[in-house]
Amino acid sequence: MALLELEEVRAGYGPTSVLHGISLSVQEGQVVSLLGANGAGKTTTLRTITGGVRWSGNIRFAGRSLNRMHTEDVVRCGIAHVPEGRGILTDLSVDENLKLGSYLRHDGQAVRKDYERVFEYFPVLRERRRLSASTLSGGEQQMLAIARALLMKPKLMLLDEPSLGLAPMVVRAIFEIIRTINQADGVAVLLVEQNARIALEMSSQAYVLEVGRLAVKGSSAELKGNESVRRSYLGY
Amino acid sequence: MQGVLQQVFSGLASGGIFASLALALVLIYNAMGLVNFAQGEMAMFATFIAVTLMDRGLNYWIAFPVTLVIAFAGGVAIQRIVIRPVERAPVLTLVIVTLGLTALINGLAGFIWGYLPRAFPSPFPSRTISVLGAYVSYQDLGVIAVCGVVLLVIYLLLQRTTVGLTMRAAAHNPEASRLMGVRVSWMLALGWGLASAVGAVSGIMVAPILFLEPNMMQTVIIYAFAAAVLGGIESPVGAVVGGLIVGVTVNLAGAYVPYVGGDLELAVALAIIVAVLVLKPNGLFGRPSVRRV
Repeated sequence: MALLELEEVRAGYGPTSVLHGISLSVQEGQVVSLLGANGAGKTTTLRTITGGVRWSGNIRFAGRSLNRMHTEDVVRCGIAHVPEGRGILTDLSVDENLKLGSYLRHDGQAVRKDYERVFEYFPVLRERRRLSASTLSGGEQQMLAIARALLMKPKLMLLDEPSLGLAPMVVRAIFEIIRTINQADGVAVLLVEQNARIALEMSSQAYVLEVGRLAVKGSSAELKGNESVRRSYLGY
Repeated sequence: MQGVLQQVFSGLASGGIFASLALALVLIYNAMGLVNFAQGEMAMFATFIAVTLMDRGLNYWIAFPVTLVIAFAGGVAIQRIVIRPVERAPVLTLVIVTLGLTALINGLAGFIWGYLPRAFPSPFPSRTISVLGAYVSYQDLGVIAVCGVVLLVIYLLLQRTTVGLTMRAAAHNPEASRLMGVRVSWMLALGWGLASAVGAVSGIMVAPILFLEPNMMQTVIIYAFAAAVLGGIESPVGAVVGGLIVGVTVNLAGAYVPYVGGDLELAVALAIIVAVLVLKPNGLFGRPSVRRV
């Protein structure tokens, strides 16, 4: 059974509907890319899953229906959502941001280990622990957001454009760590990306959205190899 | 010189009272960007509850914490019942709602307890003690101590506990906090409860000085506004420092500036509000609100 399953999901903002019936699934431990142009509904799909948008249809996560669930309860089921804009609390320190990731957990020993690991992945966060999160650069904020998500010990991570606004080197490093997290912890990832090339490298399965509808789906290797899909949807 | 020192001490005592009420305003402002005009009336109502408990024979130091707990619960209830339904409404709507609350609580207190000013007991002896050559009343020192302890407790709660962390997070960025599993709406309710309890402290501390009646807090809240604006309406530390500055300034002005006397002390507070808004709109500890576009 799939870890996450969307069935004929429709969603929108007020009278404007954005998703016109989307079905997709993520298996346990799988990395899935969600691609498409600006305004296709990628971000809305993620926001729908964590209850940030009104929606209809069916969403199941780990065998539970997410219908009518509030964001904070969806998250507590084991979904970590790194939103568009990263969702860093810039009024708090780096440490306090991290603490928000782990504060719901009661497995103290494991939490401490996870902190060590997070600081291994992102040494810069250890150095800046006491500083305000607002002093971090864009790349460092993205690292903080991913670190914080990891500390939530999720079964599934929703990542919304982790590469946005970052230098290519930083993007490489961050995707390396996302891959490590996926492989070491078995965390499944639903990855929204503009940068289709790097997303397809990471994922095993991919979906392409076009104005709120699923245009293409298939294995990442298939999509990479398909010239016409690449040209018309992925822009490279 | 001793005279000045004496005035400073009694200014610090009123400053502590203003600071408590100002902190209550700041807590709610931080949580939802709203100035709660009903804060003073909520404090007055809590003070009436305290005196009722004491009339029933409860010792002052038992009635005091019990009142704070009741005030806390009352604050949570007000947020759940009155504020939550209009949480997403424009600020003006919320302001009108808190003004309505002001009138409602004031009228309710008058209905239950009447409008006759009544004495409120002070737990501190009325004797004075010599501090650095100035005569300072135990009353003033007691008020300073109580307010100091309360403000310290709030500070530690907000800065050093997980609940404080999630409250601050919910206030700064509700969307991102929800994604961390923070129950934002309950954090707002907690903020109201906390504010209500801190405000109650100011009411209980000021009641022995002003006499208790439904309109008791109506001047105090102006001083608290002045304190909050001076400190920067978003800054808890600013509220405390602002409260102390306003308390001391008003007291010194009342004693030494000709004509200010007792009658124009309120005008000093208003002058502070206007001066801050003109010269330093973000207050002493406020940050300018910058938005990236």
